[in-house]
Amino acid sequence: MPSSTPPEKPVPDQKKSPWVQVGRYSQLAMMLPAGTVAGWLLGSALDRWLHTSWISVVGLLLGIAAGMIELIRTVLRDTE
Amino acid sequence: MEQLWFTKILNHLFAAPVTSFLRTLRIELKHPMAPISDSFAMELLVFAFLLALFLLVRSRLSVESPGGLQHGFEAIEGFVLDQSREIIGHHSEPYTAFFAIIFIFILICNLIGLIPGFESPTGVPIVPLGCAICAFLYYHTQGFKHAGPKYLLHFFGPPMEGMPLVARILLAALMLPIELVSHFARLLSLTVRLWANIFAGDLITLVFFSMIPIGVPIIFSGLHIVVAILQAYVFMLLSIIYVSGAVADEH
Repeated sequence: MPSSTPPEKPVPDQKKSPWVQVGRYSQLAMMLPAGTVAGWLLGSALDRWLHTSWISVVGLLLGIAAGMIELIRTVLRDTE
Repeated sequence: MEQLWFTKILNHLFAAPVTSFLRTLRIELKHPMAPISDSFAMELLVFAFLLALFLLVRSRLSVESPGGLQHGFEAIEGFVLDQSREIIGHHSEPYTAFFAIIFIFILICNLIGLIPGFESPTGVPIVPLGCAICAFLYYHTQGFKHAGPKYLLHFFGPPMEGMPLVARILLAALMLPIELVSHFARLLSLTVRLWANIFAGDLITLVFFSMIPIGVPIIFSGLHIVVAILQAYVFMLLSIIYVSGAVADEH
């Protein structure tokens, strides 16, 4: 159902500079792989320290989740 | 072992004291006669250069007739201030000094490799890692300063009003490792982005120089200058974004 009043958009007091946008979006591509690799690295470091073999897999999964969450969070914040 | 001329001079002067100092820390060296690496020597050179430059600007500071150098630094300062104000908000002034110095330091480190006889220290992974650790420690410290112990709540996910306590605890237990991994990932992505870009830029220039030594390398050197400026800027911008995340009032 269309609302009768137009949605109120907060007027930004200054336009976002294109440089900031470029920097932010160039970061998006790095987020997913960086999270994945970081989780795996932390997991395998813990594995070596505790002499186990399963933490690296858990770390990998957590890293993928962290990358996704970080990505979704950034996109949500930028499209607000 | 291949060394740059500046490293040779440093090693010639300081090899003995540095080696004995590292020995007291129980660090054994592969080359006891050359304990100072190229990247460290270049970092020292950039540090000394910046120190001299800042002292020069400081001594010539004038309101009535600002020189070209002062104008240049004021432009950089204004640029960094604009960026941080846009991202952090109006209370961004106390953080600007850190952003400006990390921008200038990384920029000079990236560009020094273009001068024959020098090498970009940021093309060695340990140097970007050091810069990334500085940024990492800085934004956490500022977060603690801003919010006190409440800053730790950042690591337990977003606040969920009206959620049962058990669910909130479960969510926090799930979010804690994810947040820790994502903060570690920031460190990794800052390091790898800077290092890989500068390393690749140096390598491409070198490869084309060895194939066609006339003309073509200039194009890639130009490209390298663009990449160097862009990467210094991105590093600074990400530091600003991380600080803004740490000092933001979410509640």
